[in-house]
Amino acid sequence: TLYFQAFLQMCNLPIQVVCRANAEYMSPSGKLPFIHVGNQVVSELGPIVQFVKAKGHSLSDGLDEVQKAEMKAYMELVNNMLLTAELYLQWCDDVTVEEITHPRYGSPYPWPLNRILSYQKQWEVRRKMKAIGWAGKTLAQVLEDVDQCCQALSQRLGTQPYFFNKQPTELDALVFGHLFTILTTQLTTDELSEKVKNYSNLTAFCRRIEQQYFEGHDKDSSATVTAQSAKRSLLR
Amino acid sequence: DVPVLISEDIVISQPAKILNFLRKQKYNADYELSAKQGADTLAYIALLEEKLLPALLHTFWVEAENYCSVTKPWFASRIPFPLSLYLPGKMSREALNRILLTRGGPPLYSLTEVEAQIYRDAKECLNLLSKRLGTSQFFFGDTPTTLDAFVFGFLAPIYKVCFPRVQLQEHLKQLPNLCRFCDDVLTCYFRLTVSGHSPAGQDTADANLQKLTQLVNKESNLIEKMDDNLRKSPQHPPRKLTTLKLAAGGEESSPLNRLSP
Repeated sequence: TLYFQAFLQMCNLPIQVVCRANAEYMSPSGKLPFIHVGNQVVSELGPIVQFVKAKGHSLSDGLDEVQKAEMKAYMELVNNMLLTAELYLQWCDDVTVEEITHPRYGSPYPWPLNRILSYQKQWEVRRKMKAIGWAGKTLAQVLEDVDQCCQALSQRLGTQPYFFNKQPTELDALVFGHLFTILTTQLTTDELSEKVKNYSNLTAFCRRIEQQYFEGHDKDSSATVTAQSAKRSLLR
Repeated sequence: DVPVLISEDIVISQPAKILNFLRKQKYNADYELSAKQGADTLAYIALLEEKLLPALLHTFWVEAENYCSVTKPWFASRIPFPLSLYLPGKMSREALNRILLTRGGPPLYSLTEVEAQIYRDAKECLNLLSKRLGTSQFFFGDTPTTLDAFVFGFLAPIYKVCFPRVQLQEHLKQLPNLCRFCDDVLTCYFRLTVSGHSPAGQDTADANLQKLTQLVNKESNLIEKMDDNLRKSPQHPPRKLTTLKLAAGGEESSPLNRLSP
């Protein structure tokens, strides 16, 4: 959800984040997060970006066709590598699953519902991993992939403030969302966050976006973003 | 598991590992690329896998007319019986599974909706590739790189295979620079003759056939020898016969080990 918050902040739209246990049911598509603006409710990445664009806010208008293609390609890289690696670590690494994921995922529900739902989710994620060929990967290989992805992002970012130089785009919001999550979420090992910390320009990038868009932001709003997961503390 | 690279005694089976192996042997198409271009390569490969691959899998393995009239007979003709009855079906089910698990789910509830979405994504991906290629010969200038190989690998089947249902091919044909790119790679690196058969490919097929014939001949010679031995000494006690069988087994297995890839 951090990606959405960052994206909406970058568009200079004031937002308020609210946590609800029944959030998935409130969402029109069943997926989180969703935004509630006036009397409209819009969920999921693509539709939210389109909605915001239709209202006259877009971050990638300044890019030419080739740059837009590049931006989309890098967003897919992040989805392909980082998101899948996060899912893998959360649901396929036995230690993490037992100690962190099961308790966290099942926390809103009473026993035995919490165990049933989290096992069901785990089974779903493992099926997906098997279909895309990640089931056979060891944790070391997954970390290797994350490293490769971070290296690519670091090389693309270079010394620029944002990926497409002066202005932030959807890609910046997406990368921030994922990297920040990796850097701040408490896991059984620090290996994943260490991989990201190896690239100083990426950590500087995260800090910069956090300072610019998340510190001292306005609480009163005209839109609310709803999420099910627990709050995370900001990077210090 | 395919593809497989066999070099002397080493067998390597996944694309990423094959590329690593080739790089260690000093074969590297990306040597001239800058760090940023290397990063771009990874990003575009991810784009291909996320946006184009589902539609490609669908065209080959899920679209009923295509699968029944082209893909299944084609693959079955290359797979030995009785696997040819089972494997194509399994690959088809796995393709559908992969599409549904990665792209299905709310708000897309039916297979038709998922199909519509994956084809939209694939067409958008083709458009993006076309914009990125522009008027250059290859994606990073005048020499081909890993990205060119990947893109070619995805585009060539769409471009060349004659399916009954061809919406993706028709869209690709509207992007002349991508078609030109495929044709260039085919003429430069695959040297297709007019009839469409690669002469290098034909030679390899002939060499393989020769090897196979030699193997079969050797085995039949061995069997004849065993037969002769048995005929010449019918009154040998069972113990000695067992020894003979073991010796023949040992003799038979070692040439097989030597000849097998």
